[in-house]
Amino acid sequence: MDRVTTVGKKPRAVSHLSHLKGPLLIFFVALYFFFLAGRIEEFPMPGQLGPAFWPKTILILLMISCGIKAVELLFARSKESETGEGESLPAVHYPKLLAMIALVIAVVAAMEAIGFLLANLLFLILFLRVAGVRKKPLLFLTSGLGTILLLYLFVKVVYLPLPKGYWFFDDVTIFLYRILHLI
Amino acid sequence: MIGQLEYLWIGLVNTFDPLNFVMILLGLVIGVLAGALPGITMLNAIVLVLPFTYLMDIVPSLLLMIGIYCGGIFGGSITGILFNIPGDPMNVPTTWEGYKLNKKGFVSKALGMAIMCSAIGGFLSALIMTVASPPFAKVALSFSSCEYFAVVFLGLASVVVIGTRSIGSALISLFIGIFMGTVGMDDIYGVPRFTFGSRIMETGINFVTVLIGLFAIGEVLDQLSLKSKGPGEVLRARPKTQLPNLKELWALRFTILRGLGIGTVIGAIPGAGATVASFVSYGVEKQVSKHPEKFGTGVWEGLAASETAINGSTGGAMIPLLTLGIPGSGATAVMMGAFLLHGVQPGPLLFTKSPESVYTIFVGMLICNLIMILTGLLTARFFSELMRVPENILGAFIITFCLIGAFALRNDLADVWFMALFGILGYFMRRYALPIPPLILGVILGPLAESYFLTTMIGEANNISVFFLRPVSGCLIISSIGLLFMPIIRNLWKKK
Repeated sequence: MDRVTTVGKKPRAVSHLSHLKGPLLIFFVALYFFFLAGRIEEFPMPGQLGPAFWPKTILILLMISCGIKAVELLFARSKESETGEGESLPAVHYPKLLAMIALVIAVVAAMEAIGFLLANLLFLILFLRVAGVRKKPLLFLTSGLGTILLLYLFVKVVYLPLPKGYWFFDDVTIFLYRILHLI
Repeated sequence: MIGQLEYLWIGLVNTFDPLNFVMILLGLVIGVLAGALPGITMLNAIVLVLPFTYLMDIVPSLLLMIGIYCGGIFGGSITGILFNIPGDPMNVPTTWEGYKLNKKGFVSKALGMAIMCSAIGGFLSALIMTVASPPFAKVALSFSSCEYFAVVFLGLASVVVIGTRSIGSALISLFIGIFMGTVGMDDIYGVPRFTFGSRIMETGINFVTVLIGLFAIGEVLDQLSLKSKGPGEVLRARPKTQLPNLKELWALRFTILRGLGIGTVIGAIPGAGATVASFVSYGVEKQVSKHPEKFGTGVWEGLAASETAINGSTGGAMIPLLTLGIPGSGATAVMMGAFLLHGVQPGPLLFTKSPESVYTIFVGMLICNLIMILTGLLTARFFSELMRVPENILGAFIITFCLIGAFALRNDLADVWFMALFGILGYFMRRYALPIPPLILGVILGPLAESYFLTTMIGEANNISVFFLRPVSGCLIISSIGLLFMPIIRNLWKKK
């Protein structure tokens, strides 16, 4: 929402309108949900506000807040152009970030399909690799032992029924649980 | 008075009975660990031990639960300070200041200050509970949904002091959070809202998934994706917990007293609890501070205010339970279950029928808060060791813990999906300077505010003036409005 630039790069010259794209986007999303709130199934009860009242009020307040933010940004922009100051954040390694986000999404999807044990093991190996662990013994030992420790703690001690996966993977997980004396 | 002192002595002797004492110690250790692990809450731990208490007498059972309660309420602050992961929503304000103090190099002292303020808050509120139980509970009993709404509104109004840099961003974040709280089945009318026909969405968005995702996953992604970080970098040395000295505590005496007062009063109001107390105390502290602009950057007053209020609420929450048989929070509701499991009905009659048990609980809670200093030091040391692990390995395991924590909430992968998505959202909120705490505040307090507001409106034929006409709610609402306009007035004052 606020302008944040990257260290080492000069702040880009942006028009006032493009500077407001954040609040504008949230405003239109709020407007969309406001119309959806109008469609909430209601059984008219005389003298009662109904289930749509609260979300509608909040969405109106959200839209007003977007207006406040827009005004703040315009003021801040004019101040910035006077002083030439802008805020900065440390530079981001985007391929690494995208890979980590993809892995987080993938592990959740994989937990259901192939079970926690295999999904977590693969996740740890790949995530640690992306995060910069280069030594293979460290990579595999940390991932393997870490997964086993977590399984002992949550399956054996806390009795948490972690997902075992479908079909073939269900059998594999149970087989591995038996080898590890988890069941 | 003499009778009360006599019972206190009996309570003290009973507390040091080996079984009772061991139960307090065990409860504290379980509580601090459960509170510190994200996704496993103090309430989970109390519920888990409930069946085991059936094998014991009522007093050791309750002392075990009180130990978990006091320890668990503090435990979440340890991981909050060390890793920016609050164990429970109530530890969020502690995390704002504690983690920043950690980043500034004051991790040892921040942990020590959190432990001391928790212990002081808990001990003094237990003392207040012992002395002032009956009159205190009578006031809370007269509260209706109108007053509850006013208390929650005060908590929500504190957003203006949380959103330090931009009120606009803070308000956007807060209303997004409150809106998220409306997703799912409506509690009052039983109508699904914004579910898009999905079964998963009908149960609503669990605030713990929001909390874990925004704070933990967002933080890990933010830290590990930076170009400046080398591979496998060990960023911090082993921290030792350093308790504050008397001079440092004396400098914070008014902060601690304010936190204690807010914690005890809000804790005694059924339904309000430690989370509201923590946010309100932090907000009030920022308002009265001479340097409010520094809040959120690592300020001792913010940490002390929140920690004192959190544990200060424990004594307060026990008051309506013991004197009126009304549980003021989830934890005390489970404790009431323990009473009923043993065939004991908590309430005024408990003081005449079984005063020894009541006073053993009082003294037990006082002792529990003193021992918590030792337990806190040991547990903080254990968690501090984790800081020696390279940041990339720690980050990977934090994500794994979060996955399990989110799944453990309801054994439902939908919660894990929500948590992951909120984690990604958390990252972008950080990058685009949209403050996260107001969103969390909105998700937690929004449903409560809606419920109390609509209940009041149904009872009062939509007459909104009732919030101003009832003395307690009127004072609270006016204070909240004052809080909302405080930054504007302050700015105008500064310009003059």
